[in-house]
Amino acid sequence: MTSPTNYAVTTQGLTKRFDDRTVVDQIDLAIPAGSVCGFVGPNGAGKTTTIRMLLGLIRPTAGTGSILGRPLTDPPSYLERVGALIEAPAFYPAVSGYDNLLALARLGRVDPEVIGPTLRRVGLADRADDSFRSYSLGMKQRLGIAAALLVTPSLLLLDEPTNGLDPGGILEMRGLVRSLADDGITVFISSHLLAEVEQICDHLVMIRHGRLVFQGSVAELDASQTAELVVRPELLEQVPELLRLVVATGRRAHLDDDGAGIVISADPRWAADLNRLAMRADITLVHLAERRRSLEEAFFALTGTHSGDTRSAPVLEEVR
Amino acid sequence: MILAAFRSEWVKLRRPTLLFGTFVGLAAAASLFSILIFTQARHAGSGGDLPNLEDLAQPNGLIHGLSRATVLLGIVAFGIAAAQIASEYTLGTLRQLLVRQPRRVILLAGKYLAVLSFLVAAVIFAAVASGLTSVVMARARGVDTAAWSSATGMHDLSQALGNVTLAVIGFATLGMIVGLVLRSSVAAVIVGFAYLLPFESIVGVIVKGTDRWLPGELLSVIAQGGTPTVGYAAAVTTVTIYLTVAAVAAVILFTHRDVTA
Repeated sequence: MTSPTNYAVTTQGLTKRFDDRTVVDQIDLAIPAGSVCGFVGPNGAGKTTTIRMLLGLIRPTAGTGSILGRPLTDPPSYLERVGALIEAPAFYPAVSGYDNLLALARLGRVDPEVIGPTLRRVGLADRADDSFRSYSLGMKQRLGIAAALLVTPSLLLLDEPTNGLDPGGILEMRGLVRSLADDGITVFISSHLLAEVEQICDHLVMIRHGRLVFQGSVAELDASQTAELVVRPELLEQVPELLRLVVATGRRAHLDDDGAGIVISADPRWAADLNRLAMRADITLVHLAERRRSLEEAFFALTGTHSGDTRSAPVLEEVR
Repeated sequence: MILAAFRSEWVKLRRPTLLFGTFVGLAAAASLFSILIFTQARHAGSGGDLPNLEDLAQPNGLIHGLSRATVLLGIVAFGIAAAQIASEYTLGTLRQLLVRQPRRVILLAGKYLAVLSFLVAAVIFAAVASGLTSVVMARARGVDTAAWSSATGMHDLSQALGNVTLAVIGFATLGMIVGLVLRSSVAAVIVGFAYLLPFESIVGVIVKGTDRWLPGELLSVIAQGGTPTVGYAAAVTTVTIYLTVAAVAAVILFTHRDVTA
């Protein structure tokens, strides 16, 4: 059990309303220190508003919290140990990458000597003297990361950090996040790309319509999900009969993507019974395996529906 | 901490297009006024609003060009100040700044002082350019400049420079307030220019005595060191009250408003 002092971020009942629209609705966060935490939800779920509240840019309508052990109501007490990339990187277009960082370094009373190494770390050293407006989308994103790393952060808040990055850049970003985590930095990454988050995070916070739908480790998410078995008969024409037999046991099942097998919501220990059931019906199984749900499927299973701009999972045809 | 915000803002202000554009632009404008004053000056007698060559040979002859350029300098100062603060919203850079300096009043104070120092330096540069142009033009028109370097001439020069600087600070403060309230560079500049140029001029024509209470006109009065209808002290007092009230309101807005840009 993690003690409260081991959390980099905690909130209780964090809420933000704009006029009569509730954007963030009583969120209780508990982000373990040193974790790489994915903050997942469709566009418009309230991720950015939550991050802005953590950074003191938006005043919560209700709720309390603490960041790095300091109260959420006192951003100056913790922000010097926080690096942040909020939405699209925002810099002065006519000013060079180096000078954009210099402006932030001077403001935060950070030694300008760190700018060079930081630019090298994000792969922008060669373009440091070029104006920000001449940068590609990926380079702008890298400069945003560099700005977040100007301080030596204990907590890094990254809002959609892979936006605009090419596959190589995304791979580098993953490596960068992992290296930061290895240094003991807590990384809180908001993203609507669930597959991306799945690859780099060990802790997850899922929100939808401003409400928390899941919070915990990836292992806890796996454990919370109903396990699935994937089974294929030797003969394609036996698929409907196998499906009928499974549904008759009261379990949920559906055809897999190519229609040659069945996906069953069932405890993996039921596999032996399934094998015997098929054998009694003269169906020979050529494939019987446990399947782990992807984060994307888990997310939709937890939230119930597809919406927002979240990349759609394959539509699952439920058979009951 | 204010010094940190001040130095940070100067990184942005020192970019060549803004720095040279403003300094050279204001110097050119002030010099142009000096050239016009000298080329249009008659040898003697009334030239309407314009000084004649005898007037230009007086101790205060050096400052005519600069004083008449004040409204233009002020409007440029207004536009630059409004754009500097409003662009932080437009570009979204305010959120970056507030992460590094969450004490909003300190951030604002540093930015304000940096913008003022930039504009005051630009005005001084413009004054030097205007002065040099006046010397050249005086020689061309045969105006005796001996009185300009007299003790009275130096006093008049420093007083005029102080008044013009004060007026420009007033215009810049007004610009920052409008920029803070509107949060859009384009809107702030358009609204400000529309108010200071046609609106105040039209109201001034229709309603008598507006130079006692319209901020743009009062700032012009300050630049001139007072006019026969409005005293210098009265103008400074009224403008100070206006700007203080508006600045307090703008600072309260800035410190309490959510940053969603």
